[in-house]
Amino acid sequence: MEAYIIAMLVFAGFYALMALGLNVIWGLAGMVNLGLVGFFGLGAYATALLTKNLAWPMPLGWAAGALVAAAAGALMAVIVARLRGDYLAIVTLGFAEVIRLVASNEVWLTNGTDGISGIPGPWRGEVSPQTFNLIFLALVWSAVGVVFVLLARASHSPFGRVLRAIREDEDVAAVAGKPVLWFKVRAFALGAAVVGFSGALYAHYNAYIAPDGFAPLLTIYIVLALTAGGVGSMRGAVVGALLVVLLLEGTRFIAQEIPGVSPVQKAALRESIIALSLILLLRFRPQGLIPERTRTRSSP
Amino acid sequence: MTNLHIGRRAALLGAAGAVTSFAIGGRAFGQGAPVTFGALPPLTGAGGPYGPAMLRAIQGVIEEANAAGGIRGRQIRVVAEDDQTNPDAGVRGARKLIDVDNVSAVMGTWASSVTTAVAPLCWENRRPLFTVSGADSITLLPHQGYIFRTQPNSKLQITTGSDWLLKQGARRIFHLAAQSPFAQSSQDVMAERFRAAGGQVTGFIIYERDKTNFRSEIDQLMRSRSDTVMLNGYLPDVTILLRELYRAGFDGRKFTFAYAAPPAIFQSLPNDVTNGLITFQPSPDLNSDAFKRLQARFGNTPVDPYSAQTNDHATLAILAAALAGDASGTAIRDNVRKISQGDGEKVTSVTDGLKAIAAGRPVNYEGASGPVDFDDIGDIRGTRFRYERAANGRFELIELA
Repeated sequence: MEAYIIAMLVFAGFYALMALGLNVIWGLAGMVNLGLVGFFGLGAYATALLTKNLAWPMPLGWAAGALVAAAAGALMAVIVARLRGDYLAIVTLGFAEVIRLVASNEVWLTNGTDGISGIPGPWRGEVSPQTFNLIFLALVWSAVGVVFVLLARASHSPFGRVLRAIREDEDVAAVAGKPVLWFKVRAFALGAAVVGFSGALYAHYNAYIAPDGFAPLLTIYIVLALTAGGVGSMRGAVVGALLVVLLLEGTRFIAQEIPGVSPVQKAALRESIIALSLILLLRFRPQGLIPERTRTRSSP
Repeated sequence: MTNLHIGRRAALLGAAGAVTSFAIGGRAFGQGAPVTFGALPPLTGAGGPYGPAMLRAIQGVIEEANAAGGIRGRQIRVVAEDDQTNPDAGVRGARKLIDVDNVSAVMGTWASSVTTAVAPLCWENRRPLFTVSGADSITLLPHQGYIFRTQPNSKLQITTGSDWLLKQGARRIFHLAAQSPFAQSSQDVMAERFRAAGGQVTGFIIYERDKTNFRSEIDQLMRSRSDTVMLNGYLPDVTILLRELYRAGFDGRKFTFAYAAPPAIFQSLPNDVTNGLITFQPSPDLNSDAFKRLQARFGNTPVDPYSAQTNDHATLAILAAALAGDASGTAIRDNVRKISQGDGEKVTSVTDGLKAIAAGRPVNYEGASGPVDFDDIGDIRGTRFRYERAANGRFELIELA
């Protein structure tokens, strides 16, 4: 049981990193990004190829994963500069699909739909699987800690305040003399870098990546995590990620305890419980569990 | 309303009693604790149409084995998790099966990507993985013998298909393939087989699956004067290709995998278009006792090849554990080949197998999916193939070889 809980906490760590990244782009700057899994995949493929084929040390691979995703994020921000709302959502969703299709078809580079297996992990094989899990648990959650502190600082810095201003009204921010596009590019790059970093860690934990693993389902989980936790709030992002993993995994055990339910019904029931809990949460607490708090909020 | 009062002493006594009874129970039944197997079929997602039947086949075998006394007196249970046809969900499901339920073996993974993602967990924790995935790369992983695959890999499938076509007189074949892990490897195999027999592959095009128009591909095929076309794709694209082949007046052999042209294709295409299409697939051994028994258990539902394979997964794991007298993953891995091949008594059901093993006789299990003999890397040998031709809205059996 302990091994299982540890493994799930590791997954929660990946999700928390992604939710933190999304929070910069969506929560602070107000740009909907449904292409999350594309940046996640970029980070994963970058480090997998560099560490496996070119024998780069792992930390460099992680940095490269974050950098590649950041570059893609910056480019993306320039391309979608004039898009907002639904249109932006569709373009970013398309971006993730493009990444997945390229990974499926550029067989010479990515090994196509077979995926890349045997990605090295820190001390994998030298220590017991259990110790490996613990090492990764420490690694991922220290990463979450560092990223959390940095992003929380950024979110209350002048930079974060400008992003919020852009979120609320782009034109007003522009009139106030802020270079809106340049701020958007930086927000997108920063958020994408965190998501790419999460993907890079994920590749080394799982030891195997394939285009199938980067389906839009993962994006949905993270969007849900952030919505449940509280859009715009860094603490909410982490709490939301934990909540989503708890829901995904906890429902296994709940559904199992209901007598007379076949495994097929159990699978369907699980998805219903997850959906229902999130609907209820959004119905009764639309601002999320930990709503965004800004120092600038004035009382009426 | 009645009010139930439980005093402090009563509660204490009750709690103490509960704890003791657990302790006693634990000691008394420690020897006969149930053996747990994990099933990880796709109950939702792209594999959703197949998973429930695969699971049903496993459960059937386990009920039968329990009725026959279980593994040396230990009852068997199966815990199922849904892999959602997604590697990420598959890994989390496998984690739960291995770490929480402590299963002795994992069986029934379907998508190749799920199997590849789950495999390292299985071999690192020393649990065998029985799978129906076809990608060649799976058994090439460093799995230390923990992977058993009952599905012939794509190389064996395409080799068998090519040889059959050559026997039918095909010499000039055109290869149209959807982008997939085995598009290129299929081409290499076909080129080699046809060249060796004095024929040739007249053209090879990899196309994108989601295309809705294949005019230029068909034009190239028509120019190549081929006597056969290999449609190495999936249902949506093969449907369009067949229509365009008909329109272009192609009169050669049309050959494809059965999964790309299931009977549902007759609903979307007129008979004139489908007539003459030849399909092939690795076939369960339809005449074997094991298959007939599985079919009887399924009643009116037809048994698909994957369920026949998971029927064998469960049987192999149970018999191997029974022979070893030990339900650990490593014991099962080491004993699967001892009960699936060799000169032992041929058995076709888990009941007969358990009886023979209890009597100390060597057994050779012959399953519903075939003779289930494994080579050194865990790939299946000696599967039979089924060839069918479409005629007026249904498939007729040509040959079972």
